[in-house]
Amino acid sequence: MSTLRRILKRKSALLSLIFIALITLAAIFAPLIAPFSPNEQFKDGLTLQGAPISPSGTYLFGTDLLGRDLLSRLIYGARTSLIVGIIANGVAVLLGTTVGITSGYLKGRIGSIMMRFTDLMMAFPALLLAITLAAIFSPSLLIVALVIAMVNWVQIARVIYTQAISISEREFVIASRGLGATNQRVLLKHILPHLLPTVLVYATLGIATTVLLEATLSFLGVGVRPPTPSWGNIIFENQTYFITAPWLVFTPGAAIILLALSFNLLGDALRDELDPTQRGLS
Amino acid sequence: MNILEIENLRKEFTNKTTKKPIVAVDNISLSLERGKTLGIVGESGSGKSTLGRIMLRLVEPTSGKIIFNGTNITNEKPAELRKLRSKMQMIFQDPMVSLDPRMSVRELIQEPLDIHNLGTKAERTKAVEEISEKVGIAKSALEKFPHEFSGGQRQRISIARAVINKPDLIIADEPVSALDVSIQAQILNLLKELRREMNLSFIFISHDLSVVNYFCDEVAVMYLGNIVEYAPTSELFTSPMHPYTQALISAIPEIEIETKSKRIILTGDVPNPADAPSGCHFHPRCPIAIASCARQTPLLKNYGSNHQVSCNLVGVNA
Amino acid sequence: MLRYISTRITQALLILLGVSFITFLLLYILPADPAVQIAGRSATSETVASIRAQLGLDQPLFVQYFNYMTNLLQGDFGRSYLQKSEVATLIWSRLGPSLSLMFFAIAIELLIGLMAGIIAAMNRGKALDKTLMVLSFVAVSAPQFIVSILILYIFAVKLGWFPIGGYGDPIHYVLPALTLGLLGSGWYSRVMRSSMLDVLRQDYIRTARAKGAPLTRIIRVHAFKNAILPIIAMIGLDIGIFMGGIVVVESVFGWPGIGQLAWQAIQRVDIPIIMGVTLVSAIAIVLGNLIADLIAPFVDPRIKFR
Repeated sequence: MSTLRRILKRKSALLSLIFIALITLAAIFAPLIAPFSPNEQFKDGLTLQGAPISPSGTYLFGTDLLGRDLLSRLIYGARTSLIVGIIANGVAVLLGTTVGITSGYLKGRIGSIMMRFTDLMMAFPALLLAITLAAIFSPSLLIVALVIAMVNWVQIARVIYTQAISISEREFVIASRGLGATNQRVLLKHILPHLLPTVLVYATLGIATTVLLEATLSFLGVGVRPPTPSWGNIIFENQTYFITAPWLVFTPGAAIILLALSFNLLGDALRDELDPTQRGLS
Repeated sequence: MNILEIENLRKEFTNKTTKKPIVAVDNISLSLERGKTLGIVGESGSGKSTLGRIMLRLVEPTSGKIIFNGTNITNEKPAELRKLRSKMQMIFQDPMVSLDPRMSVRELIQEPLDIHNLGTKAERTKAVEEISEKVGIAKSALEKFPHEFSGGQRQRISIARAVINKPDLIIADEPVSALDVSIQAQILNLLKELRREMNLSFIFISHDLSVVNYFCDEVAVMYLGNIVEYAPTSELFTSPMHPYTQALISAIPEIEIETKSKRIILTGDVPNPADAPSGCHFHPRCPIAIASCARQTPLLKNYGSNHQVSCNLVGVNA
Repeated sequence: MLRYISTRITQALLILLGVSFITFLLLYILPADPAVQIAGRSATSETVASIRAQLGLDQPLFVQYFNYMTNLLQGDFGRSYLQKSEVATLIWSRLGPSLSLMFFAIAIELLIGLMAGIIAAMNRGKALDKTLMVLSFVAVSAPQFIVSILILYIFAVKLGWFPIGGYGDPIHYVLPALTLGLLGSGWYSRVMRSSMLDVLRQDYIRTARAKGAPLTRIIRVHAFKNAILPIIAMIGLDIGIFMGGIVVVESVFGWPGIGQLAWQAIQRVDIPIIMGVTLVSAIAIVLGNLIADLIAPFVDPRIKFR
């Protein structure tokens, strides 16, 4: 894959990929890497006044408001953020691509209705809609992921829609139909392969959005609920201590920013390579 | 028996903003005998490409009938139509856009067989290799992609795709117009050979009269959606009767200086089909038009054996 | 021209209709029974039933929707479960602070974003360009709540230059508006940059330079006007993102706007308020897009008679 090689030549993309790989490995091997269990509250985890302990010998990143080891929670939190981010984005991309391709190819009535529906969905502010949905349905990792997916699929659908239309009108598609190909065949063998680069770009960029959305939802208390650690809810739980123990807020914060940044840079590099007409836009 | 018959075919497009209808194909009827080749000649805007696509129902007609091999396919359901599609094929003008750039040559040529599920995998591979050899594509080229080939080669790929299913009818839409002149002859000869071997019937659409002269048995000349003249090829070229045909033929570059006939130069541009002139569409540019030509729409009438002309003045000047 | 305006307005109204329907559906499918929530834990089943009848919750779907719509059009957004007041009143009282914050935030976004975009485009490929673009990436990748806390920590807690949140004096505007503005500028700067690059490549720019016009004049008179076109369309979209952002920013900075209202409602799962704020935001987004669409033809003469 020469495209892969070209992308890796860019420093930003390379660094991003490395960071993502590190976080993924940490998430997968969490039980092996984390010094302690993420939910264990230690007797010596709090000061005599009941405040969190700063980074020290035993607790490398310090402890949180309940005396739990921050580093362990961060490592397990990586799991949550990645799982939710990937599932949410996977569902969003799947749904968005399917809707986008079918309405783009079939055009006519079905196409317009689907696109009007996406217009409608886009009228809602993503975060508020996610909050509403999350508040309505009982919290669980899967529900949070699905809620995020519900809010995010629309943008992908629109992009795929416009592209699908332009591809459908190209002559080789007409030629295939002239040969007698069924719609399914044309969609799968001719149109989808041409859309894959775009899908890949949005699959990558999308994870940045879903990770951020999960973090924000958890920070607001409607995402992943404690004690399951997520970078967002660590900040949520410890926000009252942010003046006295700022590392509790800033280490998960930095992790979130770096992960989202990595996916954004990677996705942008992919887009530059695969679709030169979209350069420079986010 | 006629392989293809078209009755009163009409295609209207509606301009989305002005809501005015644009008549691309205006009440066309013609028939093609099995084994024969009909050329359809016209400039851009004449409607010839649209007509070709309507014949295969790649574009739906507004009204009229299409009868293929005795079956009325005008309203045939998509599933049935797809089965018939293997018997009537199209060759497009620009092979660069009509071949999927992401598919290998082998996949492209094999696609008609894959679509209609014909033969085993081994049989399909064999068929692809046989037809490739026949059209002049080396076996080593089969794994390559369209953009790696020249225009002429790509057109050979298109032709292989069109004939691998042994169709009865081929509709070729400007198949050589995008090619260099020297290559044109090669491709035309290839088509001639395939036609002879497989007893193919052709509808050959082109703007180039000399090509049509070389390849077709009969010719229909189109102007702004109408057939203005229809005759066997030799007769059309020796005694054209419609002023438009006469102008077209006089414009063909000749090499021998003695036989150079007086060039008829038409005034004005080809009008926009959305704004077709009244009466006889050709009257604003016609060298022999009179006042009534703007009001009276001429009909296609027979003059002599199988020679039809649509002109208000033909009987008068013939 | 008139046709264009009327089409857009009709579209906007239809979308608003759809928005209200979806909002209603969401309220309808609540697993929690609002009657129970209002009545309280110790209420008898008769009380709950009478409350339910009062709220019209035992009616069929369409009747409920009809009631909902009639109320909505009269400005009644329902009642809060927990606060004994109407959602509409609560939102209305807090709209002012949010709108003024939004105004300043967008102004800062545009100022920083456009300038950064122009500077980056003018210095294409050089270190300045690359730095600005990386910064814009960070702006896009950073979640608002973290940046808000960070800015609050650095400028209010550690440096003490600004009050730690609150509302009332002009100085209170600085940090929240700056936070929102900085984050939003990332997006704008990237679009502005690519838009400027496109425009600068055009022939009419080359002509102006050939005529000897100085670069600043070229930017001011020719390039800017044309490069800004995609930005106008974005402002409408931006309002949507902004609406999500105020929930976080207002809660961190203690800003008494509808965002903070929503945040409090979220903590207490007070659904009517959450829905009310969502609905109001959706209306703001639709209006924002509509205005952007209506202004567009005046800025870009090519759009006028589509």
